[in-house]
Amino acid sequence: MRKGRIKLKAINITKIFDEGKRKVAALENFNLEVRENEFTVIVGPTGCGKSTFLYLVAGFEEPTKGEILLDGKPLTKPGPDRGFVFQEPNLYPWRTVLGNIMFGLEIMGVPKEDAVKKAMYYVNMVGLKGFENAYPHTLSGGMKQRVGIARALAYNPEILLMDEPFGALDAQTRKVMQQELIKIWERAKKTVVFVTHSVIEAVYLADTIVVMTARPGRVKGIINVNLPRPRSYTDEKYLSIRKKVLSLLEEEVTKTLAIQRKL
Amino acid sequence: MVFPISKIVKVLRFLFPLLISLAIWELLATFHLLDPKLVPSPSRITLTMYSLTVPQPTLLVYLYRSIYRFTIGYGLGAILGIGVGILMGINKHFYRMASPILSLLISVPTIAWVPLFLITVGIGDETIILAIFLGCFFAIVYNTMNGIRSINKELIWASKIMGAKKTTIFSKVLLPGASVSIITGLRLAVGYSWRALVGAEMLASISGGIGYLVYAARAFNAVNIMFTGLVIIALGGLIIDNLVLGALEKKTIEKWGMIKKRV
Repeated sequence: MRKGRIKLKAINITKIFDEGKRKVAALENFNLEVRENEFTVIVGPTGCGKSTFLYLVAGFEEPTKGEILLDGKPLTKPGPDRGFVFQEPNLYPWRTVLGNIMFGLEIMGVPKEDAVKKAMYYVNMVGLKGFENAYPHTLSGGMKQRVGIARALAYNPEILLMDEPFGALDAQTRKVMQQELIKIWERAKKTVVFVTHSVIEAVYLADTIVVMTARPGRVKGIINVNLPRPRSYTDEKYLSIRKKVLSLLEEEVTKTLAIQRKL
Repeated sequence: MVFPISKIVKVLRFLFPLLISLAIWELLATFHLLDPKLVPSPSRITLTMYSLTVPQPTLLVYLYRSIYRFTIGYGLGAILGIGVGILMGINKHFYRMASPILSLLISVPTIAWVPLFLITVGIGDETIILAIFLGCFFAIVYNTMNGIRSINKELIWASKIMGAKKTTIFSKVLLPGASVSIITGLRLAVGYSWRALVGAEMLASISGGIGYLVYAARAFNAVNIMFTGLVIIALGGLIIDNLVLGALEKKTIEKWGMIKKRV
């Protein structure tokens, strides 16, 4: 497998949430390297801090300790070198599909004509041609999330962060979206960090799978998925990797359940 | 202009119960079941309305006076109310200062201020306008503030990561995001202000105004005129609410799917 240079680097990240009386460590000495143009998927049990990590990269939250570097430069605030796709699409209801996708370009001050042209390219890429003037409330869940992905790509960020973007979709739509995402990713040539708790999804999408421990989250293991694309959910190699990831996860899920019982 | 059938049906559906009630009322009057000195028939009221309009447009002059006062009082209330509401919505310190004061003042019925204003401001337009202003101000402040404070954090994050500065976040995320609440506040406030207007005109008008008309008619036992005034008051409130704010709602939050279409 081709090894690109390191795009994103998290060094000794610790994040402690101060919840009144008790302090909760979401991440502790979390280290991670993400290579350029790779599709990295982070899986872990519920509450392991995988979304927290993504929020730290995005700059929505600040780490208690440690540093995150993008292209060698430390990240502190949110900025357009990153694109973010939320679990809920979080589109702006008062903007059309095109208006949502153009927003990043508008903020950058790209002239309107250029912005429309660029945004339309992404409207087509996510398969929403003909819907560019529709308002979000008229779209299905899957279509909304396509807009969410296009909005995050349209201003050409260095890295795309995706926080369980298909978690709210039904199983069938979810599969279609996974296939579509790979096509989009292959065309857009982006570094992607994708968080999910679905192992099926992780093995289908990832070049590299990062398995996290139960809270406080650390890296439990890294698995390279050397399978050609498009992948099949029933292929033997696919299933054996799935097994490997599952066995790593299972211990952690058991721990999480034990923690929850204590609470 | 051609009205679509559905619109005509809608109007008829609204008018039908009113027409039925008027017919019953008229019948009761015709069979002398109502004392015409206390409750005149709808036809008598219509006649009074006519006699107050056609030879000399007395009614229109009175109505104009009320609308003039309303426009100034409500206009000021809307501008200042939205302004203060926004401040309370975006600034924590201002919120902490203003919130207790607001919750105390919001529970004082506007009309209760008027005797005080009669002494401090004096009888006349200023007192009436002040009452109208107070009638709408608190509802607009409260709803605007709530609208800003309840905007989904992720909608703001989404714009931050695209590089939006504070001013852009304000004008393109916070304001449209709060529009449902702001418009709701403006609509509620129309009713409050209209009531305040009528009440204040009864107590503080030297001449003119629809509230004054109703109150002054008392001196002549002119029940006909009182009823005429009441009809105008009811229609006035309805028209401002539907024509002005209903149209605004349709063009904005209804189109965006932020509220359900009104049936």
